[in-house]
Amino acid sequence: MNVLEIRNLTKKFGDFIAVDNMNLSVREGEIFGFLGANGAGKSTTINMISSLLRITKGEISLLGKNIVKENKFAKLNIGIVPQDLAIYEEMSAYENVSFFAGLYGLRGNLLKERAAEALEFVGLGDKHKDLPKNFSGGMKRRLNIACAIAHRPKLIIMDEPTVGIDPQSRNYILNSVRKLNEMGSSIIYTSHYMEEVEELCTRIAIVDHGKIIAEGTKEQLKSIITDTKEIWIGVKNEERLDIDALQRISGVISVQPEEQTVKIVSRGEVGNLNWIIQQLIKDGVEIGSVEEQAPNLETVFLTLTGRKLRD
Amino acid sequence: MNVLNIALYEIKRSLRDTRTFVFMLAFPLILILILGTALSNAFSSEVTMDGMKLLYKVSAQNEPLQQYWNGFAQAIESQGVELTAANGGIDGRAAVADDQYAAYAEIDDNGVRFFGSSLRTIESNIIQGMLTSFADRYNLAAAAMKNSPEAVQAILADAGSSGSFIQEASIDPHRKPGSIDYYAIAESTMIAFYACMSASWLIRGEVRRRTALRLAAAPVGKMEIFAGKVIGCTVINYLCILAVVLFSKYAFGANWGDHLGIVFLLLFTVVLLAVSFGLGIAYMIKGDSANSVMTIFVQIASMLGGAYFPIQDDMNNFFGSLANLSPLRWANDALMNLIYNNDLQAALPVIGLNVAIAAAFLAFVAVSMRRREAF
Ligand SMILES: Nc1ncnc2c1ncn2[C@@H]1O[C@H](COP(=O)(O)OP(=O)(O)OP(=O)(O)O)[C@@H](O)[C@H]1O
Ligand SMILES: [Mg+2]
Repeated sequence: MNVLEIRNLTKKFGDFIAVDNMNLSVREGEIFGFLGANGAGKSTTINMISSLLRITKGEISLLGKNIVKENKFAKLNIGIVPQDLAIYEEMSAYENVSFFAGLYGLRGNLLKERAAEALEFVGLGDKHKDLPKNFSGGMKRRLNIACAIAHRPKLIIMDEPTVGIDPQSRNYILNSVRKLNEMGSSIIYTSHYMEEVEELCTRIAIVDHGKIIAEGTKEQLKSIITDTKEIWIGVKNEERLDIDALQRISGVISVQPEEQTVKIVSRGEVGNLNWIIQQLIKDGVEIGSVEEQAPNLETVFLTLTGRKLRD
Repeated sequence: MNVLNIALYEIKRSLRDTRTFVFMLAFPLILILILGTALSNAFSSEVTMDGMKLLYKVSAQNEPLQQYWNGFAQAIESQGVELTAANGGIDGRAAVADDQYAAYAEIDDNGVRFFGSSLRTIESNIIQGMLTSFADRYNLAAAAMKNSPEAVQAILADAGSSGSFIQEASIDPHRKPGSIDYYAIAESTMIAFYACMSASWLIRGEVRRRTALRLAAAPVGKMEIFAGKVIGCTVINYLCILAVVLFSKYAFGANWGDHLGIVFLLLFTVVLLAVSFGLGIAYMIKGDSANSVMTIFVQIASMLGGAYFPIQDDMNNFFGSLANLSPLRWANDALMNLIYNNDLQAALPVIGLNVAIAAAFLAFVAVSMRRREAF
């Protein structure tokens, strides 16, 4: 069964279309990656799923139930980790978690247990009495997660949970995402860090201008562009490059000279490396290194959207 | 249950906030002490009731009614009211408006009519207080006169001696506010009104901290959140007021009169008014300018309400009439009347007005909140 079904979802802010007729499903047990450049519409989509924004058009269902019609059910089963920290600085870590968990109907001993468990889970068990204003950025991010999971939601939505934190906290968070997933929650994960998504997610959707432009496993996404390869050549005297000549070589799509390197994108099936090197030698270019790269998600993203994931 | 929970957390958070204590407790108490002591000399000469002058005109033809008035007139004279009979041509109301008298009363066969000075509210209120119970009885007798004259004697006799009215109204014209008494009242209402500052931050603060996102994503109705926050904010501010009133009463010996219950009720409605006003402004004015608007408004309202120096009744100028627009002024006048004239009636319209304005603002906020996405 799908945890989440998004059908023809549109969100307009005035005349501006932030989410454009989007279709998407997240299967039970998945860690689903949501990739998109700044302003692509990730947060807007997430905010509609978690009832923070009204849906302009289309439908979202959670575990088969329409989230507008069965709003309480949807809210009870979703945990949201907002993109910006959403915690009370002047309340202790424990009070933060138990306050929000209390809104989900937990009371008494069960509330205490679950709040303590959530803090333990993100590694703040020994800091439960401390005020977040004395926390590091990474600890605050972890508390931000704890506040979303104490009620044991079926679907946890994390909107860039690792922004601006130290590597240690980041690893902690990535591991807890895996653990939450193993414990039975499905997860939607957005990030600007391609490595994270590549490492963590079972399936990935790429969003651009409010639309899903590609969706699938890492392998499926990469296969979309296996017909290209990147050749990086380290050069000592790039002023001697004859760009036009390089571009005329069969299979070459583009030539981008950079400082001390030249990046050549070429069709994958053409064996043209010899020709390229011969041309360079003919022009008197001193070659330092040659490296051929298989496409990674970053390239996939760049090729599909024409934008870098991070500006 | 959620409402209660949200209210409790709101209270808990405010209690942790040192600003709550500095602004809501220490600040007013220090002001009472400093202004109350520093200005005590200047002050007492300003509010003395040297002129409890009553102009009156008796055109009652009926013997028992005339006698009844005469008895009453003697009684209040002995209490320090200066009575002057209006002769023929004099226009009583004009004389009062001219500040020659604190009040003017007309006594005829139909009843008693009273015109108080708006320039000398304290004096005129005291006289009015004395007159009220007399006039009730008098009007009853005057009405009876037309239908069954034989009942008149009984009605008037039943009333006992004229002097008892004064007891009934328990007027003590020598009781007048000292500077500590005055500032205890003025600072308490000011602090009650300060609640609008924390209220304006009540929802906006959640939005700013992003915790509004969590609240909106939780399976709790918006109105529950709203109610919880309003209750929490009102309670915490009200507790501060209670503390200031009680502290000023027992530590500084400020006079809060004999009707503490009504004093507290009135102050409660001021807090309620302030909280809903603050929320309303925060919803009307987008962004941070709401805070500046609020700060300026509170300062002006405090000053006009007499929080820093008493606004004299006879400030018959722009400033004086502006003062009447301050909700603090209404509250202070009502409290003065309540404490020094035992005039319970004076408190009721203010309580009613406060509650009505608060209800209007709260309804406005509730409606705008429902319309908004998230908050
Ligand atoms: N409340 C709003 N009113 C008007 N426009 C909005 C609003 N919220 C978002 N937008 C616009 O909608 C677009 C999508 O924004 P969104 O926050 O969903 O992007 P995102 O993919 O989450 O980006 P980021 O990676 O920067 O978080 C942006 O162009 C943004 O300016
Ligand atoms: Mg975003």
